[in-house]
Amino acid sequence: MKSKIRILVLLALIAATLAACSPATEQPSGDQVSLILAAYTTPREAYGEIIPLFQTYWLEKTGQDVTFEESYLGSGAQSRAVVEGFEADVVALSLEADVNRIQQAGLITHDWKTVENQGVVTTSIVSLAVREVNPKGISDWADLTQPGLEILTPNPNTSGGAMWNVLAIYGTALRGEIEGVPGDDPDAAFTFLTQVLQNVSVMDKAARDSILNFEMGIGDLAITYENEILVGQQSGQTYERVIPSSTILIQNPVALVDASVEKHGTREVAEAFVEFLFTSEAQEIFAQHGLRVVNQEIAAQTESEYPPVGDLFTVEYFGGWDVIMDEIFGENGIYNLAIATAQGDAH
Amino acid sequence: MDLTLIQGGRKTGLSKWFLRVPALLYVTLMILVPLIVIVEDGFRAGLSGLIHQISVPIAQHAILLTLWTAALMTLINAIMGLATAYVLVRYEFPGKQLLNAIVDLPLSIPTLVTGVMLVMLYGPQSALGAFLSEKIGLDIIFAPPGIVVALLFISFPFVVRTIQPVLMNLDLTQEEAAATLGAKPWYTFRKVVLPTLLPPLLSGSLLSFSRAVGEFGAVVIVAGNIPLKTQTAAVYVLGAVESENRLGASAVSLLLLTIAILVLMTANGIQKAWENRHEN
Repeated sequence: MKSKIRILVLLALIAATLAACSPATEQPSGDQVSLILAAYTTPREAYGEIIPLFQTYWLEKTGQDVTFEESYLGSGAQSRAVVEGFEADVVALSLEADVNRIQQAGLITHDWKTVENQGVVTTSIVSLAVREVNPKGISDWADLTQPGLEILTPNPNTSGGAMWNVLAIYGTALRGEIEGVPGDDPDAAFTFLTQVLQNVSVMDKAARDSILNFEMGIGDLAITYENEILVGQQSGQTYERVIPSSTILIQNPVALVDASVEKHGTREVAEAFVEFLFTSEAQEIFAQHGLRVVNQEIAAQTESEYPPVGDLFTVEYFGGWDVIMDEIFGENGIYNLAIATAQGDAH
Repeated sequence: MDLTLIQGGRKTGLSKWFLRVPALLYVTLMILVPLIVIVEDGFRAGLSGLIHQISVPIAQHAILLTLWTAALMTLINAIMGLATAYVLVRYEFPGKQLLNAIVDLPLSIPTLVTGVMLVMLYGPQSALGAFLSEKIGLDIIFAPPGIVVALLFISFPFVVRTIQPVLMNLDLTQEEAAATLGAKPWYTFRKVVLPTLLPPLLSGSLLSFSRAVGEFGAVVIVAGNIPLKTQTAAVYVLGAVESENRLGASAVSLLLLTIAILVLMTANGIQKAWENRHEN
């Protein structure tokens, strides 16, 4: 008991010191306002271009100068940072589950899906990156089980991107879209997932690390977001994109954090920023950075770069994120079982 | 301030606390409190919860992989560190000063950089890595040997630096006497030098072992991180943290901590016993 009190006193001391160091909360003055954006790392460059446009727009509209503090981290880590006290006004994350976590912590109190397109600001698809001229002849998921193929995909425990990858493989198999795998047969889909996982040679901690390793010459194939491939190609990488005949639609949500905007007094400008992300201006920039956009007009303009997928499904196919986190990525979920089976057979 | 002043000051109560309180407070704040937090968190679901978490197959495999790669590294490090220290102390050669400085370098290179360097050197896309893999069948990167190599790199200074001062203080005349009595160099080393060096060798080795058990930065780059195959405990902990399994993270961390503490206490004990014997 005594020791507990002592620890509490110490913690209080630390907290007091920290509080004394940090500046008092800034209330927006008449012509100056500041927004904190917490985003996942993929759209960093896009936001770098969108933010100046918004600043001009907001200045003209209200006469207010809006400055931004931007933070880019892996989606899960970013979401946890907000829950643990990082006062972001707006979050832009890679998957809905990470926004739900903030909502469940009581920091988002409004229905964040009431904004345009249910808060989904950009999308992408799970695709395959293969070496120049596609030496292994990869054209679809079924080719991923060929013996000796070396596949890179990040670890679903640390990477949101990797979760999409697992969902794409398992979901496509379950839908009967893979040659030789009967549809609506969980056992067959599980076996297919296991076979693919057996060929995985490196599991990096994040999607970015995985594609960087692929760029270093490791592996025959990387399962990744389509935008990672397109951005890599823009910067001179020679790998090629293979769009599977069936894959999952990755939906990246954006949301306003009520607790933060209330504290900072920034609701109005935060709402305007979220709305601005759906304008043609902003959507065009997202499209230039490899992302599929939700704005119909821009989507139509960029269709040649983003060919439609034969069979495109969403997380709703599995019953939403809550079901997925439990049944597929839970402790005794399909993914952990598949990994165990894959490594058990490899021994 | 001279020595007598300090010694005199020790007797008065005020200056006794003058140094002790800040030092103890510092250790408590910086080391003890974070440790207590982990211990408390690890036991959140009681002992059975903790045992359940560390006996999950993926966690168990990660812990065992961590322990055996660290142990193998320690063995190699003990032998090669001893040889390096001996050469650095007993022989003169050009470039000795440079080599001596390089020994400490692994401590100041970010371990993440170490990992990247090793992948560039031994990775499957490098000439050396491809040669080893195709001709000898030895995969280093994205396999356990890569973990051992990375651990060797990051903990290289520990054995060398604990042996060096002892070896420098070791009277050279003993070795010379043995030599004049007709002992072969290896015999002299084994019978005269090694017994004295054994305690610092053991404590240096154990220090490097406990350092290696917690290594993350270099390992996450070189290991491949496949659960049940090449994923180490530290990488498992990251995965557990990131996927909301905080109990699993704390439980495995607690186990690693306990191992490290036991090993460090053993190292300290050896050092102390040796010093006592030496003073008598």
